Amino acid sequence: MTLLKATDLTAGYGPVTVLQQLDLEVQEGEFVVMLGANGAGKTTTMRAISGLISRHGHVEFEGVDITKASPDAIVRAGIAQVPQGRGTFPELSVEDNLYTGAFVRSGADSVRDDIARWLEVFPRLAERRHQRAGSLSGGEQQMLAIARALMSRPKLLLCDEPSLGLAPLITQELFAVLEGLHRDEGLSVLLVEQNANLAMHIASRVYLLETGRIVASGSAAELSADDSIRKAYLGF
Amino acid sequence: MALFFQRLVDGMSYGSVYALIALGLVIVYRGTGHLNFAQGEMALFCAYFVYQFGEWRIPVWPAMFLGMGVGFLLGSATEVALVRPISKRSPFAVFIVTIGLFTFLNWLDGAIWGNQQLPNSGVGSKQLSYPSLFPNDPQDQWLPFGVSIRYERVGILVLVLVLTGLLFLLFNKTKFGLSMRAVASNAESAKLAGIRTNRVLMMSWGLAAAIGALGGVVQAGLNGNVNLGLMFTVFIYGSAAATLGGFDSPGGAVIGGLMIGVIENLASGYLPKWVGQEMKLGVAFVVILAVLLVKPSGLFGTAKVERV
Repeated sequence: MTLLKATDLTAGYGPVTVLQQLDLEVQEGEFVVMLGANGAGKTTTMRAISGLISRHGHVEFEGVDITKASPDAIVRAGIAQVPQGRGTFPELSVEDNLYTGAFVRSGADSVRDDIARWLEVFPRLAERRHQRAGSLSGGEQQMLAIARALMSRPKLLLCDEPSLGLAPLITQELFAVLEGLHRDEGLSVLLVEQNANLAMHIASRVYLLETGRIVASGSAAELSADDSIRKAYLGF
Repeated sequence: MALFFQRLVDGMSYGSVYALIALGLVIVYRGTGHLNFAQGEMALFCAYFVYQFGEWRIPVWPAMFLGMGVGFLLGSATEVALVRPISKRSPFAVFIVTIGLFTFLNWLDGAIWGNQQLPNSGVGSKQLSYPSLFPNDPQDQWLPFGVSIRYERVGILVLVLVLTGLLFLLFNKTKFGLSMRAVASNAESAKLAGIRTNRVLMMSWGLAAAIGALGGVVQAGLNGNVNLGLMFTVFIYGSAAATLGGFDSPGGAVIGGLMIGVIENLASGYLPKWVGQEMKLGVAFVVILAVLLVKPSGLFGTAKVERV
């Protein structure tokens, strides 16, 4: 079943159009990776899907038109985004960050259970439960941002360059957690990256984005098999 | 010693008003990063309303809550109609707009209620003095060791401390408080968590103006009447209090307000030659300057560290 389907998606900032009639979709249970260089429009794609910037075209989620929906309605519909860089609330404690992630949910007990669960998945956050998020390291903040997004119990998780500014080992650890969630719980993920190697490894399907357009798509194997694509975009 | 105690209590009761104005400033600043220059005049507008409610024979406590309701509407309407559309263009312009609102509200008060102090039997007031929340006849005081501790002063102090406690619970123990803190900390991530940030900002401005309204009513009560200049100096003291406590700390605003009130009262009491009644405002200026030089983030504020 198609979870997210964007057709003719055009978006940008004021007079500048970044995305040109993009078509993209995520099937239920897929791990889709979008690769692209700096300025290709990866972050803009994420922000357009989440409704943070105005967009044209057509966006459907579970068959429902969400093109005109507000960011909070989109979260309620089941899309959560881990934004690029610091997606946490630095002045709030780790625990309050997680509570904020559950803002759209009701039922205090199940929220508490989920907090306990993510603190188990990310034990380093458990140790820092009452610390301000701003005092965490970059990797811990990224883990917190992911846990925060998962607290809304999304059907689709959007991840905007989770590896940005992180040490390779930490990045591997993060990807392992995402892969585990995808594999064991069937979480659907749309992840954008510059870091092709790691991302290709776990992708069900890959899009290549260049100056606001999708220039290639297919399975990771298909794209790596194409010499010209491999040299130009994947760098190996 | 007894005189010192009296000055301390008096200072804290005047400081309570500064604390209320500072609280309003801090709530708005935390949420939106704007300094609401009209905070004092919004409070004055509400204080005039409470006078009007008194003319209509509404008892003082219900009148105060109605006045806070007027403040809430005024504050949230300001955010929706003025601040939101203008801050999209330029945050600095918002500052200018709040100065404009400052002048406009003062003009509006004069246009509706005239430029004489009220109540004024000459203009047909039914009330003898501005409604006071606590008993304030001359005999309503304790006289330990021959100094005067007035019920009204103590009542105001208790009222502000209770309000501070309620606000603490609101900020830290409720979902709405969590959303306010989240928006203040990172507005975009708050949106991504499904928080309706526009609504939170509207409510923050409303809440700030409602708290300020209480400050206006208390100040007019202490003063015995309401007039067009009532909140000028109070606003300056309130700004000093917010600077002292830290512009992003509600608790700091309250402590800062009480401290400014006490410093002001002690300075004018013990240094009548140097400070006296006329130079009192200079105390606020000195405090602001000293804080900005020594600890710019204030006593309880968090120093902003930007990662580059």
